[in-house]
Amino acid sequence: MADNDKRVDFFRQMVRIRAYEAALQANYHADKAPQWDIGAGLIPGEMHLAAGQEPVAVGLCANLVQDDAITGPHRPHHLALAKGVDMNKMTAEIYGRETGLCHGKGGHMHLFDPTQHFSCSGIIAEGMPVAVGQALAFSRKGTDNVAVAVAGEGAANQGAFHEALNLAAMWKLPVIFIIEDNDWAISVARDTATPIKDGSLRGTAYGMPSQRVEGNDVEMIYEACKTAVDRARAGGGPTLLEIHTVRLWGHFEGDAQAYRGDELNEANERDPIPAYEKRLISAGLITEEEAAQIKAEAEAEVQAAIDFATSSPEPKPSDAYLHVFA
Amino acid sequence: MTATVDAGTRRVTTAKAISEAIAQEMRSNPDVFVMGEDVGPYGGIFGSTGGLFEEFGSTRIIDTPISETGFIGAGIGAAVEGMRPVVELMFVDFFGVCFDQIYNHMAKIHYESGGNVNVPMVLMTAVGGGYSDAAQHSQCLWATFAHMPGMKVVAPSNPYDAKGLMISAIRDDNPVVFMFHKGVMGLPWMAKNPRSIGPVPEEEYTVPIGKAAIAHEGSDVTVVSVSMSVQHCLDVAEELEGTTSVEVLDLRSIVPLDREAILTSVAKTGKLVIVDEDYKSFGLSGEIIATIADKDPSMLKAPVERVCYPDIPVPYARVLEYEALPTRDKIKAAIAKVTA
Amino acid sequence: MSETITFPEMSNDPEAEGVVATWFVQSGEAVKAGQVIAEVMVDKVSVDVEAPIDGVVTCLVEEEGTAKQGHEIARIE
Repeated sequence: MADNDKRVDFFRQMVRIRAYEAALQANYHADKAPQWDIGAGLIPGEMHLAAGQEPVAVGLCANLVQDDAITGPHRPHHLALAKGVDMNKMTAEIYGRETGLCHGKGGHMHLFDPTQHFSCSGIIAEGMPVAVGQALAFSRKGTDNVAVAVAGEGAANQGAFHEALNLAAMWKLPVIFIIEDNDWAISVARDTATPIKDGSLRGTAYGMPSQRVEGNDVEMIYEACKTAVDRARAGGGPTLLEIHTVRLWGHFEGDAQAYRGDELNEANERDPIPAYEKRLISAGLITEEEAAQIKAEAEAEVQAAIDFATSSPEPKPSDAYLHVFA
Repeated sequence: MTATVDAGTRRVTTAKAISEAIAQEMRSNPDVFVMGEDVGPYGGIFGSTGGLFEEFGSTRIIDTPISETGFIGAGIGAAVEGMRPVVELMFVDFFGVCFDQIYNHMAKIHYESGGNVNVPMVLMTAVGGGYSDAAQHSQCLWATFAHMPGMKVVAPSNPYDAKGLMISAIRDDNPVVFMFHKGVMGLPWMAKNPRSIGPVPEEEYTVPIGKAAIAHEGSDVTVVSVSMSVQHCLDVAEELEGTTSVEVLDLRSIVPLDREAILTSVAKTGKLVIVDEDYKSFGLSGEIIATIADKDPSMLKAPVERVCYPDIPVPYARVLEYEALPTRDKIKAAIAKVTA
Repeated sequence: MSETITFPEMSNDPEAEGVVATWFVQSGEAVKAGQVIAEVMVDKVSVDVEAPIDGVVTCLVEEEGTAKQGHEIARIE
């Protein structure tokens, strides 16, 4: 059971992430008007935001330390921020600046922070075998660090998911597989792609403890992740957690989401942050004023990061040839 | 550092040279380990890990399930955390089931991370045909891998280079695709050219990645080749001694390509034959010609002769397969044509 | 002092014929005890053959030639 300080911290972190995603959303679109051009603006390219999925990142990362590893999907910001990736450097990377985590080489889907053992990839499910390898290294070195692979429910139908689970179970590695089930793989609803209702059966099928977590509740997610992380640290091997969450916005920014119909309204009712705020206020853990203060601080931090990014130099064109090889 | 080959140096097969290189690096560096299908007690389908399981056991010589995406990805993960895995892809032709991990992850992570993350991994794989293993088990494909930026690609033609290149590959902080032609391994169960057994110093030594070697000096024609075909070129060069002075350039590495060595030799001879068992079009032979055309096409005193695998899948029947392979007869004919 | 090297017993079937797949040395070469001088194969299983003593080797079977298990394949003097 998370103590009260932790619960307030959960709220603070989720607010921080939402402030970030909201600011990026606004800025991403602002300079693509009026004729929307995906390649235009200060943040060009694709953008996949995680509004609604904050509880997964926060509940998970509350159990992790700096030297634990995460491989994340194309929708990585909530995981990066919760893990402890520096917000300024991350933002500079998303803005394609020289001061970014990857000197502008990776962008929003390829954020690498080796100090946090954090990486993400734009190829569905392909971070899962890599997390297995990180877990292999940790267990060889005799540390109690764990690796976490995060992907969506669509990824659970990709070959790499199955191979990674099988290997992790066979070699009893300290890796946790997290499926963020946000109901949609772009425009394809989960129940048209996955015949089983409870994806945790797949973990059982590969020989590991497995759980589906409903409710998108940060505290329940924290507990489920704690069990899995503790198990891995103690040498008990891998776990699969399928966590039902919600994708409040489009798959990508620019996604009109016509395919969602009325479900979109229903999804908005499931926004986890207002619900958690209400809960903490009812429990007397924070006041409305404190909640507002937390939001203001988050927005200020995010704006500072954006200012850092927009005032950073772009890389030199000739930098494109650097870092092909070490 | 190189090592001298004395008259008394013991002779071993290329397969043994490769496994010896891995063993020596494993003895001196606990971060080196091997993963792949049948690399354990079996010693690798083509002998690349012979003796390693007996010495190092199952924690460092790991037999994997048939999960290339899984275990190549695992190699990448271990490498980003500071280990030095040697991962075997049993046949290069299987790259289709796992190429995402190879070209989108192994090869690109260093660049995508702005130089902050290294992937010091060796991906070794068996290539080549000539023994009726047909279309899905006989390809060379170095050009396919070479075309994708971010991974080094080497292909030794003899035991000495094989050991030195493997040690260099393991020590390299970059991903290195180490392609060993089955025909140069010196296997007891495949017809072999005597050049597949050769003197290999017992101590550790390196052969630099990215540097070609003049395998046979000459002045009438430059024959550029790599891997198994080098052995055929040397057979022809020796046969023609006294008639035609053939310079055989063994590329040894495809990425980085030793363009300087190619240009130097062609500047000297003015005539070029390329012998490449990989598919002819859109590949290595075209890149070699482009190297010259980019610099000074007038260097060439005659059109280039390409003795390459035609643009066809590898056929099964021996008569068909040998119609396609770059054999000694075809190499001789090409040399004759170019020097006519 | 001289020693004979015989084709190793490798197969369950003592009559099974083997092949001297590869010679790593030539007749007349000096070899050391423990040096791998040949690779032989029976039923697709191959093993290395080592010189038992220092000396000069004489190869008695051609490369890729067949030999029965237990039969002479080389001599060291």
